[in-house]
Amino acid sequence: MSGINTVTMPKWGMEMVEGEIAEWHVSEGDSIVEGDDLLDVETSKIVNTVTAPASGVVRRLLGAVGEIVAVGKTLAVIAPADVPDDEIERLLAGAAASAPENKRVDAPAAEPPQPRSAPAATPEQAPGKVSGGASAAGLSGGGDDSGVAATPVARRVARAQGINLNQVPASGRHGRVTLADIEAILEANGRHLEKPHSSARPEMRSQRDDSKVSATPVARRLARELGVNLLDCRRSGRHGRVSKADVEAAAPRASVDSGAAGRADGQSPSRVESRSLSGMRRTIAARLQGSKRDAPHFRVQVDVEVDALLAVREELNRRYSEAKVSLNDLLVKASACALVAVPGVNVQFDGETVQRFGDADIAVAVALDDGLITPIVRGANHKGVVAISNEVRDLATRARLGTLRPEEFQGGSFSISNLGMFGVDRFDAIINAPQGAILAVGAAEQKPVVRQGELAVATVLTLTLSSDHRIIDGALAARFLSALRGFLETPATMLA
Amino acid sequence: MKTRYDLMVVGGGPGGYVAAIRASQLGFRTALVEREALGGVCLNWGCIPTKALLRGAEIAHTLRTAGDFGFTVGPSSLDLEVLVGHSRSVAMGLSKGIAQLLRKHSVTHIKGHARLEGKCSLSVEGEEGAQTYQAKHIVLATGARPRQLPGIVVDGELIWGAREAMTPTRLPQRLLVIGAGAIGVEFASLYADLGSEVTLVEMAGGILPGADDEIATRAQAALSERGIRILTRHSLVQLAPRGQDALTATLASAEGSNTLEVETDRAILAVGVTGNVEDLGLETVGAEVSRGFLVTDDWGYTGVVGLYAIGDVAGPPWLAHKASHQAVQCVERIAGVGHRQALQMSRVPTCIYSRPQIASVGLTEAQARADGRPIRVGRAPLQANGKALAMGEGKGLVKTLFDEATGELLGAHLIGPEVTELVQGFTVARQLEATENDLLDTVFPHPTLSESMHESVLDALNRAIHH
Repeated sequence: MSGINTVTMPKWGMEMVEGEIAEWHVSEGDSIVEGDDLLDVETSKIVNTVTAPASGVVRRLLGAVGEIVAVGKTLAVIAPADVPDDEIERLLAGAAASAPENKRVDAPAAEPPQPRSAPAATPEQAPGKVSGGASAAGLSGGGDDSGVAATPVARRVARAQGINLNQVPASGRHGRVTLADIEAILEANGRHLEKPHSSARPEMRSQRDDSKVSATPVARRLARELGVNLLDCRRSGRHGRVSKADVEAAAPRASVDSGAAGRADGQSPSRVESRSLSGMRRTIAARLQGSKRDAPHFRVQVDVEVDALLAVREELNRRYSEAKVSLNDLLVKASACALVAVPGVNVQFDGETVQRFGDADIAVAVALDDGLITPIVRGANHKGVVAISNEVRDLATRARLGTLRPEEFQGGSFSISNLGMFGVDRFDAIINAPQGAILAVGAAEQKPVVRQGELAVATVLTLTLSSDHRIIDGALAARFLSALRGFLETPATMLA
Repeated sequence: MKTRYDLMVVGGGPGGYVAAIRASQLGFRTALVEREALGGVCLNWGCIPTKALLRGAEIAHTLRTAGDFGFTVGPSSLDLEVLVGHSRSVAMGLSKGIAQLLRKHSVTHIKGHARLEGKCSLSVEGEEGAQTYQAKHIVLATGARPRQLPGIVVDGELIWGAREAMTPTRLPQRLLVIGAGAIGVEFASLYADLGSEVTLVEMAGGILPGADDEIATRAQAALSERGIRILTRHSLVQLAPRGQDALTATLASAEGSNTLEVETDRAILAVGVTGNVEDLGLETVGAEVSRGFLVTDDWGYTGVVGLYAIGDVAGPPWLAHKASHQAVQCVERIAGVGHRQALQMSRVPTCIYSRPQIASVGLTEAQARADGRPIRVGRAPLQANGKALAMGEGKGLVKTLFDEATGELLGAHLIGPEVTELVQGFTVARQLEATENDLLDTVFPHPTLSESMHESVLDALNRAIHH
């Protein structure tokens, strides 16, 4: 396996099972240096760049732009020019036989050290890193290294460099691995620590040369387009690179500056602002477009009297100082109960297979300044209302700050969208694919109702369920709404 | 009208304003409510203005000892108004600086008194009437104030609290300081340097209860040597005015057998602090108060939904740097970022700005021994430190405590010149869980007071070189 390196689809985050090839930056036959950009991969959440694990010649590119590739599958082969083609073919044949389709679990540090006959064919590095040659793979292997004694700095640098501390001979006091040990082993493997970027960021827009700032190709191009200097950007990407979002964040500042300059030139300011979609908006656009296109939506609506529910809420909030339960929290709980009672709605459908869920993982739509996100209350059927309420509060807080972890907003078997606080009477929502249904909640308002021929006043809420008719029929949706209404109008039944 | 914020902070001291700025950095829409000057006690009535006064005291001391260095200084006199003016202008300048910081970080500054109206709801009574705000998260950082003794009224004329002690118009000839904790000892030292005859009264067996015994004993000896009269095991029974301009204090000895009368011109009450928990509406949401302080978990959560408390109001140690650190931890925890380890109080350093200075971090020798683990103790007297001798401040001690088995630095206790600037070295070592060997391997620069830190570690291993 002399010097042949395969590049596989990385796993960025718990729920990533596949990625779309967004752009190739190299062609077969190109000579490349370790760290060069190979391709951009787009997932439902991010666009990021895969870099070369080693220097050599690009011998094979597997997959065209737009192709969706499972995590762990081979994307490219890099090898010295003198490696014969049939050796590469042999390797690829072997990789295809052994590479898993969809279920590479990414836990590089926790994996038991296993001698591998074909180390280059299996990704076993940190997310975002592509598997390298024998030396790089050797440094990253070795099982859980959390118990290895190391100075705090050494530990951090090792993590950043993808080095398993088990591989590093320790020379420090008390047998600790020190920074010098990491540097030594990197050097022994022909690598070196990058000099840190200057952290000084000037207040004004920088004019200085930003060609040395490490950035994703997309970010670099976007920055040029928007007139943003990369020195003015945060570096939130992998490996401390400037990502597209960082450039976009810096863009408003830059455009204010250039706007002022434009006026100084005597040009009248433009009345139309054109702006490319943010990453989040683009994701929302693509996903909702897809849902509306693929899933035949139909809606079922029901009015619910919630006076008893409001009394329960008041009682809970009066009794428990740790609770500030909202109507929405109770809706999450009631929906969980209804999903368990009518499991046909508790499903995901990817166009081919229906997945039925035992637990109710309920996604709650949270509005952000520029978009929305749907963090998930997992196993809501097992949780009390106060626990659900505090979980939603935490998720919503962190959703707005952008500190949710991927596993906190990916997945889910059902969604709730509530516009009641804006005084919306009723509305219908687009299904959060691949889920089977979404509940749209309007405002609870006092309305006249007729009971046994008498006019009375009740607090009424309108619920609209949008369902995917491919897997949920009208009667099933109606049964679900009826169950949900039952739980909401007789809250005690949620205790059963 | 209701206004919504993601996070509101009540109190603009070193806990509150740091919490607000960190929250804003993390993306919270943040407001800070303060009824008085920004900066809290620390900046307006504590740490900073006392340090400005203490600088004056140091100059007084320098003038008195200038002869040792060959200087002949004519008779000097103190214009107290100028010194206090300096102290106040430093405080005011910094307070304005905080207003600027809040603006810079887009934190809304609301002036007025905040009260919880319910969960996640505050009403603020300001100059233009009351307004109600909603916030998902409310951080209480209302601080603490000097504790009062029953039957003794701090009138601001004859009997002073910390505030009056910081803004004297006239230097009292005789001064009685009640309570020999950090604040009492600092005021006793300050006024003795400025020229008052100071009597320091403490109920416990020695001054600075809570400090390492050996250090406290040295401090007591140093203060006595400076002419401060120290009465330990005495408690205040009565403090009665005698005429317009003097007081008689009645003190009882701990044994209770005899009482003692002390004549004084002014008295400073420094018997600890109590949290500012009143009139906050805590009862409306059911937040728990114990012994005058809000009860929280390690992260500042009070157990009431969305309500947190940090700094002095959340209990000891009552230190500005603890408050600031808790502020960041509390807010980062709400935001789901940052560290997974809560602040360990044994890693919070303490500094006392008396002359000599006192600083410490970690366990005292008594506490370490009480744990039952075998320990090693290192001592380095400043008498053996070239820099200290050159400064003419050869009195002092750097004491280190190590776990014999693990080598962990358990505690460090320092007394002497500028030790408040030295203790940080040991604090870093504790935070990194350094052993005696790591400290031995560290190079300390010469000639500095810090060399005595190294020497103390050597001594703990019976390897002292310079003494």
